[in-house]
Amino acid sequence: MAGEEENSEFYLRYYVGHKGKFGHEFLEFEFRPDGKLRYANNSNYKNDTIIRKEVYVTPAVVRECRRIITESEIMKEDDQNWPEPDRIGRQELEIVMGNEHISFTTSKIGSLVDVQGSKDPEGLRIFYYLVQDLKCFVFSLISLHFKIKPI
Amino acid sequence: MANADVEAVDFEPEEDDLMDEDGAVDAEPSASPRAPLPKLKSAITGASASLSAPKKTKGRGFREDPNAERNTRLAVSDLDSLNASDGLEPQRSIEGWIILVTGIHEEAQEDDLQNVFGEFGEIKNLHLNLDRRTGFVKGYALIEYENFAEAQAAISRMDGDSILTQIVNVDWAFSNGSFLDGSKKKNPRQLRDRRSRSPPRRRF
Repeated sequence: MAGEEENSEFYLRYYVGHKGKFGHEFLEFEFRPDGKLRYANNSNYKNDTIIRKEVYVTPAVVRECRRIITESEIMKEDDQNWPEPDRIGRQELEIVMGNEHISFTTSKIGSLVDVQGSKDPEGLRIFYYLVQDLKCFVFSLISLHFKIKPI
Repeated sequence: MANADVEAVDFEPEEDDLMDEDGAVDAEPSASPRAPLPKLKSAITGASASLSAPKKTKGRGFREDPNAERNTRLAVSDLDSLNASDGLEPQRSIEGWIILVTGIHEEAQEDDLQNVFGEFGEIKNLHLNLDRRTGFVKGYALIEYENFAEAQAAISRMDGDSILTQIVNVDWAFSNGSFLDGSKKKNPRQLRDRRSRSPPRRRF
């Protein structure tokens, strides 16, 4: 399990949310450098609910997460020309890998149409798919471990 | 996007309390003396403060901080962690033991995994997630067995073996503690290499 790569720093955080008539509704997860996976999901829709979960994952899980990020090549992108967060919502993606640290923000992306219409469709598309792949990974981990349905 | 259709599954009435506690519980005291960074930086100060090389930073997140409360959003009580303690052992999940298979061929089917991993016990759950862009298998699977021994056998037998001509790695998904030394501030070590036990996790 031990390998060179685990010694280099890793941190991932993703947030998507907005503040509206149901309060601050958001979904957020992070992988911390020590392997702790934290997950929070808040919606005040219909009734007040918040889900917060955390669990330690193994280096193997972190390694897979790093692979997904590395292969996406998101670290080469820049959010400069992405849509600014707005009243509809915001997304934040923060990643530390090795000596690189990105902290991107943008609006919510409804579909690929939004991506195509943006000023940086190539970069935004990478973000769009990476976020889905990461969410998919995290939702599987959380739902299998805690037996909850994340969304 | 995703949380438009959030479904209520769990209920935590003490949100405000948890948020208040977070500073004391979670914040590492070693705030970086370097240039002011977003609040969220504090989540990683434990490790980053010890690194001498400055990071290459990129993104608007570094020049705005409209979400000053972001550090509290993930605050959680110890109750929500399953037995987080100081050993490094596989962590049992609510209904069984989860293993992670990586290096899976992009054209693999659930049946391929079912055939291979069903050998070691009944598979209670199998997630073979797809790459959202290509529609092919992303490359990993999460498999749940009811018993520790079944999961352990799958790991022992299949780690480094091949499925559809591709070498796969198989390991536990969850651990009952940090894989860094609990008292790490400067030189994070693999937990298994450490010489002495660090103090138990702070409870309060």
